[in-house]
Amino acid sequence: MFSQSLFWMRLVFPCLIGLAAFQPAIADRSLSTTEEVEFFEKRVRPLLVEHCYSCHSGKAEKLQAGLRLDSRVALLKGGESGPAIVPGDLEKSLLIGSVRYDSYEMPPKGKLPAESIEVLERWVEMGAPWPDSLEPSGSEPDAARLQFDLQKRKSEHWAWQPVQSPAIPNVIDKAWPKSELDFFILAKLEEANLHPAADAEKTALLRRLYLDLIGLPPTLEQAKQFLDDNSAKATEALVDELLASPRFGERWGRHWLDLVRYAESRGHEFDHDVNNAFQYRDYVIRALNEDVPYDQFVSEHIAGDLLEQPRLHPDQGFNESILGTGFWFLGEWVHSPVDIRKDESDRFDNMIDVMSKTFLGVTVACARCHDHKFDAISTADYYSLSGFLQSSDYRQVPFESLQQNRRVSNELATLDSKYRKIVDELTHSKQISQKDLRPIEPKLASQIIVDYSTIISSDYIQDGFVFGAKPRLLGEAYLDQDGNEPTVRFATTSAAVSDPFWNGLEGVSEKGVHTKNALSDLPRPGRILRTPTFEVTDGTIMCRVQGEGHVVACVDSHRLIAGPLHGDTIKPIKPDVEWIELKLGRYVGHRVHLEFTPAEGKQLEVAFVAQGNSRELREQWMAREKEAEAAVSEVASAAHTEYGERLKALAAAWWSERAALQSKVMRRSHLAMAMMDGTGEDDHVLIRGNSSKPGKLEPRHFLTAVAGEQPMSIQSGSGRLELARQINSATNPLTHRAIVNRIWHHLMGRGIVPTTDDFGVLGQRPTHPELLDYLATTFLKDGQSLKRMIRTIVLSRTYQMSSKSSSQGFDLDPKNLLWHYRPPKRLEGETIRDSLLKVSGQLNESMYGPPVPVHLTSFMDGRGRPKESGPLDGGGRRSIYLAVRRNFLSPFMLAFDTPSPFSTMGRRNVSNVPAQALILMNDPFVVDQAKKWADQIVAQPTSVDARIDQMYRAALTRQPSEREMKIATEFLSRLPETDTPSDTAVLLWADFAHALFNTKEFIFVP
Amino acid sequence: MMNPKMYPCQRYQSPPTTRREMLHRCGSGFGALALAALRLDPAFGDGVTANQLGSPLELGRAGHGPHHSVKAKNVIFLYMDGGPSQMDTFDPKPALDKYDGQDPSKLFNVEPTQFNNNGNVLASPWKFQQHGKSGIPVSELFPHVATCVDELAIIRSMVSEFPEHTFANYFLHTGSGLQGRPSMGAWVNYGLGSECQNLPGFVVINGGLIPPGGLDCFGSGFLPASYQGSVFKPSGSGVANIERTEPTANNQLRKMDLISSLDELAVDQFGKHDSIESAIHNYELAYAMQMAVPEVMSIKDEPAHIKEMYGIESEYQPTRTYGAQCLIARRMIEKGVRFIELTCPNVGSDRWDQHSNLKKGHEDNAKAVDQPIAGLLKDLRQRGLLDETLVVWAGEFGRTPFAQGKNGRDHNPFGFTVWMAGGGVKPGTIYGATDEWGYKAIENRTEIHDLHATILHLMGVDHTRSTFRFGGRDMRLTDVKGHVIQGILG
Repeated sequence: MFSQSLFWMRLVFPCLIGLAAFQPAIADRSLSTTEEVEFFEKRVRPLLVEHCYSCHSGKAEKLQAGLRLDSRVALLKGGESGPAIVPGDLEKSLLIGSVRYDSYEMPPKGKLPAESIEVLERWVEMGAPWPDSLEPSGSEPDAARLQFDLQKRKSEHWAWQPVQSPAIPNVIDKAWPKSELDFFILAKLEEANLHPAADAEKTALLRRLYLDLIGLPPTLEQAKQFLDDNSAKATEALVDELLASPRFGERWGRHWLDLVRYAESRGHEFDHDVNNAFQYRDYVIRALNEDVPYDQFVSEHIAGDLLEQPRLHPDQGFNESILGTGFWFLGEWVHSPVDIRKDESDRFDNMIDVMSKTFLGVTVACARCHDHKFDAISTADYYSLSGFLQSSDYRQVPFESLQQNRRVSNELATLDSKYRKIVDELTHSKQISQKDLRPIEPKLASQIIVDYSTIISSDYIQDGFVFGAKPRLLGEAYLDQDGNEPTVRFATTSAAVSDPFWNGLEGVSEKGVHTKNALSDLPRPGRILRTPTFEVTDGTIMCRVQGEGHVVACVDSHRLIAGPLHGDTIKPIKPDVEWIELKLGRYVGHRVHLEFTPAEGKQLEVAFVAQGNSRELREQWMAREKEAEAAVSEVASAAHTEYGERLKALAAAWWSERAALQSKVMRRSHLAMAMMDGTGEDDHVLIRGNSSKPGKLEPRHFLTAVAGEQPMSIQSGSGRLELARQINSATNPLTHRAIVNRIWHHLMGRGIVPTTDDFGVLGQRPTHPELLDYLATTFLKDGQSLKRMIRTIVLSRTYQMSSKSSSQGFDLDPKNLLWHYRPPKRLEGETIRDSLLKVSGQLNESMYGPPVPVHLTSFMDGRGRPKESGPLDGGGRRSIYLAVRRNFLSPFMLAFDTPSPFSTMGRRNVSNVPAQALILMNDPFVVDQAKKWADQIVAQPTSVDARIDQMYRAALTRQPSEREMKIATEFLSRLPETDTPSDTAVLLWADFAHALFNTKEFIFVP
Repeated sequence: MMNPKMYPCQRYQSPPTTRREMLHRCGSGFGALALAALRLDPAFGDGVTANQLGSPLELGRAGHGPHHSVKAKNVIFLYMDGGPSQMDTFDPKPALDKYDGQDPSKLFNVEPTQFNNNGNVLASPWKFQQHGKSGIPVSELFPHVATCVDELAIIRSMVSEFPEHTFANYFLHTGSGLQGRPSMGAWVNYGLGSECQNLPGFVVINGGLIPPGGLDCFGSGFLPASYQGSVFKPSGSGVANIERTEPTANNQLRKMDLISSLDELAVDQFGKHDSIESAIHNYELAYAMQMAVPEVMSIKDEPAHIKEMYGIESEYQPTRTYGAQCLIARRMIEKGVRFIELTCPNVGSDRWDQHSNLKKGHEDNAKAVDQPIAGLLKDLRQRGLLDETLVVWAGEFGRTPFAQGKNGRDHNPFGFTVWMAGGGVKPGTIYGATDEWGYKAIENRTEIHDLHATILHLMGVDHTRSTFRFGGRDMRLTDVKGHVIQGILG
């Protein structure tokens, strides 16, 4: 009753304990009166216990948001979003906002009744009295639980320790090892009293090498060549031949694509295209075939657009390096997200996740909402990495013309500046500059966020070269090519101006399936002026423009504009307008930059961009432009009067030099996804990963556990080049271990660290840590050659062991952790399909190019279904060239564990499902291949035995045993006596061919 | 070996080491079989015991079997694609009549919507009436389901995190708004295995509308392919590659004999390996499936009154389609298929996604599913199968109480209705409430994670203990969230 009366008193006599009088007195008071304590105990504490403590107390099974409500100190300290209460101040108390469902919505199960909310409000107004004696229990273990000690975690986990150069261990059986790595394997086997398995039979080794290195079985001739070669170097010669085969890049390229969640559509609702993704796939195949050193390959992925000396295609001379950055953008994209900032943070999360797992073998994305639960990776590390992405942009780069046009652009800048200088010297022109003009009122000037008259060079950002090396400044001489006669003119404004010199650029895209969106038809690639990034503070953005083209407001890096929302971000610029206004009210508080593109064959000038559309600003600006124009024309007409003839001559010379240079412009180029630098900036730590709760800024740096505490020194731009250097650093313990482990995984069926993408605490420990370091060290010393590392491993005796274990081996090492044999491996879906085509003689070895459309069965349905189905046999192309559409993945591949492309998958599942058997038994593609193979077999006039023998060698790379021969002959006994091809004969042989495809030996590598 | 004590689950067994032992143990069907094969496969790293490799933490227990005993064995998920409107179906809101045509922003705080084309408060075009002993109100849209209302536990306070179809679909199906995560059906099979030897454990019977987000709504994500949903059609052969290509059955059998005798010799090439032996055994399962599918699909022999009950005789084609789906689902339940999802038939005026023409669109969609659902519930009840079958009716979100344009409703993830029946839920229950507009859940807010936790709980699985390690985390259907909805448990 007491509390009830106090409650009424509070309502009836508000002035008695009114806020103003009361608040200062209690703000830092910790002692409470008995009455207050009683009020707390009777009214407040029961509410907290009932509705809050299951998540926000020392007794919480899992403390939420780092917030405890079981002591006054804890409430004042608050959680991840800051203090829960500010005594006496309702509006600043998050607790109150939360129970009112204003800020957070707490308790999440449902809003408290109004009277309970009032109790809490009153309690806070009273100064949040609390009995001072009792601190809650459970604080100690909780403190320990919350503590995140990065250095301690680093020191306690193997993966963060430097890579060692271990000594080669001693072994008893000195005759067994063929290579240094064999010593590491044998030493452990001997320790366990185990013997390595016998060497694999020559036919088994042959099949293994072909399938592991190029993913195809050998032809009869290829097999014969190796089996007949009895020289000591036969295996080496074969390995070198296979590594040099173009098929190698197709096989290992597919492994790599698993890491970067390669797909050619965006999934989600309508499965839009990932435009020109195949260019990245082809880049990977070429890079692997060329054996590009791994550090170079890594740098190209992280920052291939920023390399001072990009790697060029050996024949075609185009920029290869920039194509690597396409991997960043292979993820899912959403076409009309309501919460656009959250959408960005999800995209960044996927990019960080894939980057860190792929190159480092650690799971940085686990630190998005909290410090990593197990590993030495902090939330700060996570957001330091997201800053690199925040500072970078997506583009479709005309990669073939990039190098050539960059040279042209540099020459053009030199040429123009030469002539400007001559004109200047000639006319001794009184320089008119911005400074001579009447200034804009400071209040109005503060609205201007991008002013091309004063912009610093690092903020003059463009995709391509169309807007020249710098803005054209007021009074500056330029060559007007527009009229019949080239004329020297003087600029009457300062602006970024597109140069007609570059007219006629043509970006070539794949035809695609679902390419349509609001941006797809705009002639943007290589023709974009990009403003620095800014925050939208006013719902209106105003730009002073002249000419024709488009402006796109890129909000939170969202670019797949289709569907109901975000259409306001695109605005055409018509030739007769002076001002363009973008209505961005929806995006106040969001990061944005503008991208200006001239219409094809047209010119576009951009003078400035301002927040808010005020008439005064426009008027003052226009008045100033008039004034400038008058001043410039005066100078100009004086110059023309005085030096008319010489200026004419100069113009002619300038024009002809420009024309000569212009002929060197490479206008047509294929496009590919690539990154470019935007405005270099750091990202906010998002509290509990919530994009609507930004916390402090985190400077960009690499993982603290690898690179230490010191911030990264970034000269300008995104800093990705520096990031690439740190990933590649010889002292980084992760990168080189991760890649040699991946190679080992693919060759031996299990990584030395079995969890190839997670070297963290939740991953598994290396079975042979010294071997891992030995391989990493060798790899580093040997120039980071992937091919030579593969060669080293496949030429070891370990790799060449038989797949047959001994009974002793099964007992002592049932899981083969010590590698006492080399286990058989189930082939991947791609390799099974490719082998089918190879054996049936239908393999089409042409390389590269846009994906072959996926074959659609009637069971593959849903939005975004391509209009046309691809051919049943994929045109005989290797599986790596078949379309990977996220919402229409090949059922064949899915059944055989080809991963759904959403994250890094360095180690595929190997499952065993009836769908696999049903596919091999009943899928028309498989049946068709068997038939085609049979057609060829039957066409040869030879004996039944010879045919069986030939088919075994083609499909399984060995001769049939006597027993097999007998079984096969029996099956085929219905064959007509004549060797004349007939339908029944073909059907019978097709049945036999089909059966061979269905033997387990066909889908397992020995 | 792992220490069995670390598993509270009574069913813990050490991994079998021989094929025979494995097959014996895997009486529980495909999922478990595939899983056992996986665990034995040295290439499948997580199958190697963590302790031996020195990891301090335990692996997620795959195929762990139930954590507690329950009646429910199977789930039928009636997915209401597009987002049915709560205030037009199971959550009557008289206030909408009162304020019909008024500006909603003057009445309450309107959140951003997908189409951002908000009109005035829109009263429901349908009348509600109380039904059954429970007296639960149901709108005119569901006259048949209304007769089963005493079986339903209606949750009126569902919330989702996403206002767009695809996010919300992935979220409802997989517990994550992102693409590529394992679907509920995959998780349930991962937890319990399948009791069916010759049908997949996770079946999607596609009435015509694959949800936005595509087949990945039914994927196995990072779980092995054995847990993928198999997409069936309610007509024809049912599922891909189930029909033999040989001209005669005998012809195929002869071929299978040949394969089998050649495979017996594989040991000469590889030595003995369980991975290969289970791949061999796989053919027996595939063959059994090839026989079983046509059988389960053949509804033509069902008695006329049953067909009638399911609406298979309806003059409206979508009702016939959905009726067939529901009937096939019941037949699959009888065979022990663990998880069946039904997608909606195409009614011509879009899924339950009435951004305009609410009246026609909702009427068509309701007409397609109403009678078949009622038929299914009654048939399961009369066969004594409803107690062991959990039926879940849910869309990915609800709709706004105010109009989009003039006569539509936009997406609303802040409060909507789903219901469950059978499988151990408390029948004739209403749980939770939205505000007076039907806009936001205000009482017993229930998240999708809670729905998932509850489905797993009713199936005997503790959602916090059914985990699979991927990418450095022990992944769950419920992520790090989810509470069992105690208020609807029977």
